[in-house]
Amino acid sequence: MTEEKVLHVSSGPHVRSRLKTGSVMLGVIISLMPATIAGIWNFGPSALYTVLASVAVAVLTEYLFDRIAHKENTVKDGSAVVTGILLALVLPSGTPLYIPVIGAVFAILVVKCFFGGLGKNFMNPALAARCFLLISFGTQMTRYEVDGVSGATPLATLAAGGNESLLNMFLGRTNGVIGCSILGLLIGGIFLWAMGGITWQIPVSVLASFTLFIALFGGYGFSPVRLLQQICGGGIVMAAFFMATDPVTSPVTGRGQLIYGCLVGILSGLFRVYGSSADSVSYAVIISNLFTPLIDLMPAPKPYAYRKRQAAKEAGQKKPSRFPKPALILCAITLIAGLLLSTVYGMTKAQIALKQEEEKTASYREVLPDAEKFSAGSDLKSAVSALDGKTYGTSFGKVTIDGAVEGKDSSGSAVGYVIAVTSGDGFNGDISLSVGILKDGTVNGISFTTLNETAGMGMKAEEPTFKDQFAGKNVDAFVLNKQGGSTEDNQIDSISGASITSGAVVNAVNAAVDFYRNQIAK
Amino acid sequence: MSRTIKGGIHPPEHKELSENASPRVYEAEGELIYPLSQHIGRPAKPVVKKGDHVLVGQKIADADGFVSACICSSCSGIVKAVEKRRTNAGTYGECIVIDNDGQFTEAPDYGREVSCDDLTNEEIIGKIRDAGIIGMGGAGFPTAVKLMPKDPGAIRHVIVNGAECEPYITCDDQLMRTRAADIVEGLQIVMRLFPHAEGVILIEDNKPEAIAAMTAAAAGQEHVRVVVARTKYPQGGEKSVISLVTGIYTKVSELPAEAGCIVDNVATILAIRNAVRFSKPLVRRMVTVTGDAVKTPSNLIVRIGTNAEELVAAAGGIREGVTLEKALFGGPMMGVAVADLSVPIQKGSNALTLLAHDEAMDAQREMTACIRCGRCARVCPMGLVPEMMAEAVERKDYESYEKKFYGLECIQCGSCTFICPAKRPLTQLFKIAKAEIMAKAAKKPVPSGKEDK
Repeated sequence: MTEEKVLHVSSGPHVRSRLKTGSVMLGVIISLMPATIAGIWNFGPSALYTVLASVAVAVLTEYLFDRIAHKENTVKDGSAVVTGILLALVLPSGTPLYIPVIGAVFAILVVKCFFGGLGKNFMNPALAARCFLLISFGTQMTRYEVDGVSGATPLATLAAGGNESLLNMFLGRTNGVIGCSILGLLIGGIFLWAMGGITWQIPVSVLASFTLFIALFGGYGFSPVRLLQQICGGGIVMAAFFMATDPVTSPVTGRGQLIYGCLVGILSGLFRVYGSSADSVSYAVIISNLFTPLIDLMPAPKPYAYRKRQAAKEAGQKKPSRFPKPALILCAITLIAGLLLSTVYGMTKAQIALKQEEEKTASYREVLPDAEKFSAGSDLKSAVSALDGKTYGTSFGKVTIDGAVEGKDSSGSAVGYVIAVTSGDGFNGDISLSVGILKDGTVNGISFTTLNETAGMGMKAEEPTFKDQFAGKNVDAFVLNKQGGSTEDNQIDSISGASITSGAVVNAVNAAVDFYRNQIAK
Repeated sequence: MSRTIKGGIHPPEHKELSENASPRVYEAEGELIYPLSQHIGRPAKPVVKKGDHVLVGQKIADADGFVSACICSSCSGIVKAVEKRRTNAGTYGECIVIDNDGQFTEAPDYGREVSCDDLTNEEIIGKIRDAGIIGMGGAGFPTAVKLMPKDPGAIRHVIVNGAECEPYITCDDQLMRTRAADIVEGLQIVMRLFPHAEGVILIEDNKPEAIAAMTAAAAGQEHVRVVVARTKYPQGGEKSVISLVTGIYTKVSELPAEAGCIVDNVATILAIRNAVRFSKPLVRRMVTVTGDAVKTPSNLIVRIGTNAEELVAAAGGIREGVTLEKALFGGPMMGVAVADLSVPIQKGSNALTLLAHDEAMDAQREMTACIRCGRCARVCPMGLVPEMMAEAVERKDYESYEKKFYGLECIQCGSCTFICPAKRPLTQLFKIAKAEIMAKAAKKPVPSGKEDK
């Protein structure tokens, strides 16, 4: 000590565990591997490419952001890799690679870096990115392919009344996201729990409250197979172990985690049963993420010394409930909300159907004003059902014939027919319309039942200048005239700036005329 | 029979360095320094002045008031000065400096054997007070005060704390191995003060030889039992010890007596026995000199006031090819780092830990943002949520820290800082917060940097 040496002086403790943020993240990465490998095994190389693209872009985005923002390089903490893998696992396997790329940039840049980086994001970056992609790239995000054959997800199949092998769902051998192997997720999740990476509170409360909600409101009661199908599909297991447990966006205390877990589970169930989106769990988790700061505001748990004191005071009266009261209250509120929602839905269902029926009749009247009553004979019905809802003909685009009715006047003699057609070629989705056709084949008029085109452009289809062009014409087929100033009977002037909408409508009317001439009039 | 506390951590123990090193006596060569404030309470008042000749065991400073402790000389020689010297708290404090004549001539009464049966309880406590005994595990609370609770009859347990959960330190282990019978004798003396108390000797299961020795010594003794606890830090903390034995968790504001307990460290119990039975004031103690930077990790019996540098030399000095980076009074969890080893061993100095590598520096480099993983809350032995407490301190919200998060219940054991994967200095923040709150309560500015640096 005689030589001049400076000893370090700092406030204790002077030793640290070997645990680092990086090793925590590594633990998560390792526990995600079973599900990732199962995904690649089931879906082939395209899944691997998705994972690689997502991880690479996530890491690169964080690196570049740190460089540009002159921040310390935080890539080495490994959290970007975790986000990358998590994002890939909630993407369909066959998506074009720009989907994981855009998603990873959104997750890291917008959700994480913009809010202050590691530990500061208020939503799970991977799930926020998934929701962003679902909204922005709905088609790509809901196209599930296995070996190049696209099909419905197990949940969609189930919702449509089909059936799905529980074993396949468990092994992830169904149409779904890359990380849909329940077996892989369970192995990884239990490993993560055993390593102390997550606590039991969130997975248990998510799965329990979700199962309870589905059992109560799912419509199948406590049927074990149905419940297991609901649990194995739609990402609830993924959320329970890997998404909702993201420590940054979930409460710190065990009690808070139970409340939060119940919220995730119940919202997932609510959206699953009554929602219309392709996804329920992702939205449930990110909405619950927003509640985390609120849950953390609850009084902090009392130190042991204070708890004991309380227990001693209450000794002899009654044992304080082990289950936190706020959780019970929250569950109760959500359950009541769910009940109300389902009752209202049940009550309005009939009225909505009635209203829709009235609207339909009104549109029939509009296109065939002379008729008093509309009915569909058995031959009409069979002609329509023979089409089986498939695309009609080959020259009308994505057109389907939805129905046909015969219109009769007050004396009971037939006036003509109304044919309901839908074209999937609209600029903004489906266009449905009723076409009134007189017995001699003359188009009497058209009326739209679904039209969601661009305001001021495609929506002009509803204006008389466009739709009255069809009335009173007896032609084999109409032709769209993009130049305008039509002189021939079969020419229809296009709405300026909306030739796609115009074309879809012309095709739909042509299909109706064709259907009448070749199937009804014979 | 294996029990353990809630929370807690398992830091690397490193006890193997010195656990089998038999105690060696080291006699001080240079001057001896006695800080007047080695205990909790008011500093002692010097009763000697420069030039006085003193003997071993002679009182050189008297207790100032009820919560205070006297100091007895551990050597013979001339009082060199009463002045400010650097102490192991890292600051300068008033000290009595004695020029050691190397003779260690004992005061007339020193070592006179007394039978306990001849003493009243008041006399026993008086002898303990006059011996200057304080809690030797590091807390430094005057023992005589501790032994005078309002209602001695309400004390159910006299606990000998031999947990020694702090890494590296082995002096209590060695005391239990070599002085088991004397420790039990000390326990019997204390138990005499409390008619309804049983004696409990608490030892962690990483000290099998100490357990064997104490179990043998306690065999046949009425109302004395050995309790073995599963090794875990900070099990040796007073509150942890009480909760292990009684199941009662006490608040920071509550004394052990309120849970019906008297808790004394092994070394303290031995000092009580020496003081009561042999009229020996507290002038020596065992110190573990250890760490990866020291050549021969040792358990040294040294005179209080000995310069720490002499101890390092007695343990073979610093290992060749190694640079001493950090020197700690105490262990790595709760020990205090000193900038300079030329400071005296005090009554509460149980170890000198010399480290070649400062992990705290690495931690500072590796610090990341908090990921709210909650590990800190899981290891907190008090049931606190360090993550929330730290967040409150960081925004200087001491009100919330104290009222909402019970921040003052923190015993500053360092478990949260140890476990934190983001390497955040949690305990350090809590020390600052405590100092701020205390300062505000006392309406005076915080002593600058005392807690932090």
